[in-house]
Amino acid sequence: MTTSTGPRGAVRSDRVGAVVLFALAVLYGLDASRISYSFSSDPLGPRVFPLILAGVLALLSLIYFFRPGSSEPWPQGRLLASSIAIPGLVLVATLLLEPLGFAIAITLLVTGVGRIFGASWRFALFAGIVQAALWFLLFRYLLEVYLPGGSIFGF
Amino acid sequence: MDLSYLWTGFSVALSPMNLLIGFVGCFLGTMIGALPAIGPINGIALLLPIAYTMGLPAESTMILLAGIYSGAEYGGRISSILLNVPGDAGAVMTALDGNPLARQGRAGEALMISGLSSFVGGILGVVGLTFFAPLLSGLAIGFGPAEYFVLMIFAFATLGSMVGSQPVKTLIGCVIGLMLATVGLDATSGAYRFTFNEPELGDGIEFVVLVIGLFSISEAMLMLEHQASGGSIIKIAGRTFARWADIVRCTGATLRGSVIGFIVGVLPGTGASVASAVSYTTEKRISDRDGTFGKGDVRGLAAPEAANNATAAGAFVPMLTLGVPGSGTTAVMLGALMLYNIQPGPQLFAERPELVGGLIASLYIGNVLLLIMNLPLVGVFSRVLTLPNWILVPGILVLSIVGVYSTHASMLSILMMLGIGVVGWLLRKLGFDMAPIILGFVLGRVMEVNLRNALAISGGDLSILFQSTISIVLWIMAAAVAILPFVLSWRARQVKATAPQLLS
Repeated sequence: MTTSTGPRGAVRSDRVGAVVLFALAVLYGLDASRISYSFSSDPLGPRVFPLILAGVLALLSLIYFFRPGSSEPWPQGRLLASSIAIPGLVLVATLLLEPLGFAIAITLLVTGVGRIFGASWRFALFAGIVQAALWFLLFRYLLEVYLPGGSIFGF
Repeated sequence: MDLSYLWTGFSVALSPMNLLIGFVGCFLGTMIGALPAIGPINGIALLLPIAYTMGLPAESTMILLAGIYSGAEYGGRISSILLNVPGDAGAVMTALDGNPLARQGRAGEALMISGLSSFVGGILGVVGLTFFAPLLSGLAIGFGPAEYFVLMIFAFATLGSMVGSQPVKTLIGCVIGLMLATVGLDATSGAYRFTFNEPELGDGIEFVVLVIGLFSISEAMLMLEHQASGGSIIKIAGRTFARWADIVRCTGATLRGSVIGFIVGVLPGTGASVASAVSYTTEKRISDRDGTFGKGDVRGLAAPEAANNATAAGAFVPMLTLGVPGSGTTAVMLGALMLYNIQPGPQLFAERPELVGGLIASLYIGNVLLLIMNLPLVGVFSRVLTLPNWILVPGILVLSIVGVYSTHASMLSILMMLGIGVVGWLLRKLGFDMAPIILGFVLGRVMEVNLRNALAISGGDLSILFQSTISIVLWIMAAAVAILPFVLSWRARQVKATAPQLLS
């Protein structure tokens, strides 16, 4: 596998994670202090609980920063690109779902992800067509879940 | 004791429709468990939105999900034993002795022994659930807002203390979940919080979107990196019937595993991974006189398998009686009930006997079905081990899209699912577990509402949180649980310091 970060890399990514979480706590706390309301039937109101959470997260992220634990190495190069491509393909497939219909969008998704997971073009395409057909039949006729047929085909 | 809810439940669970649903759940669950990469929580996350969209009534959805949950705890042993790759954290311990047994050519026996101990653990767990849940529900009737708030504190203390090796990360996960729960309209004051003027966020973050993002998008991304690790699948060869002597030898381990599993299951938030680890180490301490554990000892296989199945039943106790999930998987099921506008609590037993009883009755039926499925038909399920990731992962993604699309057909939902998935992946790479986030999310509203109600009753006086006996007991329990790891590590150091003299 193309990963090369050792324990030092793990500590560094934990530190970065802690800083990001601390920033999140601060931003969340700031936004919480600006919640506008005119009346609340309880003495705390809508601001206090979020402010407590922001405080707890800030404290925990400080502990996390100074006592980092263990984490997994990060993927690099092609592996990283492939990891990001998975949600990317899901996004493309959902964008195509309404115009092209379930069958085509899912064929593309299954083929693309199949390729990422090491299938040859022929196998991936075959899996794409078969899965699209099987899922469509299962949802449409057995489970009766509505799926778009594709607006360009007039469905 | 009044067990009439159970008879109502059996009449619900034995209706032809619910029997079929229970059977499908057990079957799918065993398959999901047997798949080397995914476990019960992923399976439930994927199938929950589809069950909801199909318009199944709440009790049928619960029966389906409970079948998947228990089925996956049975099926998890198959990939642990034959492939040495556990499907989820709860099946890790099963591989320690199960895989060596398989490598000695005793795979069939290992599967049968673990199947039997799964059944004993499962049934004892359900019996415990049947009797313990009404008791706890009776006790919880006296809970007011202050007690509920302290109960949540206890739940998070247990989580931080017992789940995972990195308590800070577990607690951060809980807080993130609690924060996500604050998004949307605040019912008490009518204020919109953290919605960034996005009307769709007014109702808060959709549960289905969060669960699918955390447990299937991030899982799919992670599977890409983990796929190179696969070992070789061991064929089921040799005798398929376990030796009678081995079964007898496992009795103690199975019974102890069941009890430990049930107790860990009842504790809020701690699921199969904690239960199987505790029962394995306990059994090793009690039974491992000749150092055979880890080399294929049947007792080391029976104990964690009984434990993780007993946990699945035990985890329903706090979920159904207090509305506090006993494990990550029951947290997802609690969220499922919330989709149906059902808030579990002590009233549930009185108000919805068909739901609670149907669920519990289906666990009895399910365990019998699962024993039948998992002994003679284990060869069928072991076939799924050969399913390549290039077929499985796209399938998971298709189910994710259909799940989110069919419950909330909006672009924002899909974008949020993907965003949550990527953030979940980043967090998992950093060593965070996803279950605490879901627990925080499902408990967030209840925790805040009860705190605010308690202070509304007392007029802002914080001492209400320390007034009743129940709250004080819960505070003490929370403190005890929080201190526990420090005591244990101190004792371990003491033992280590004195052990060398004893051993030599």
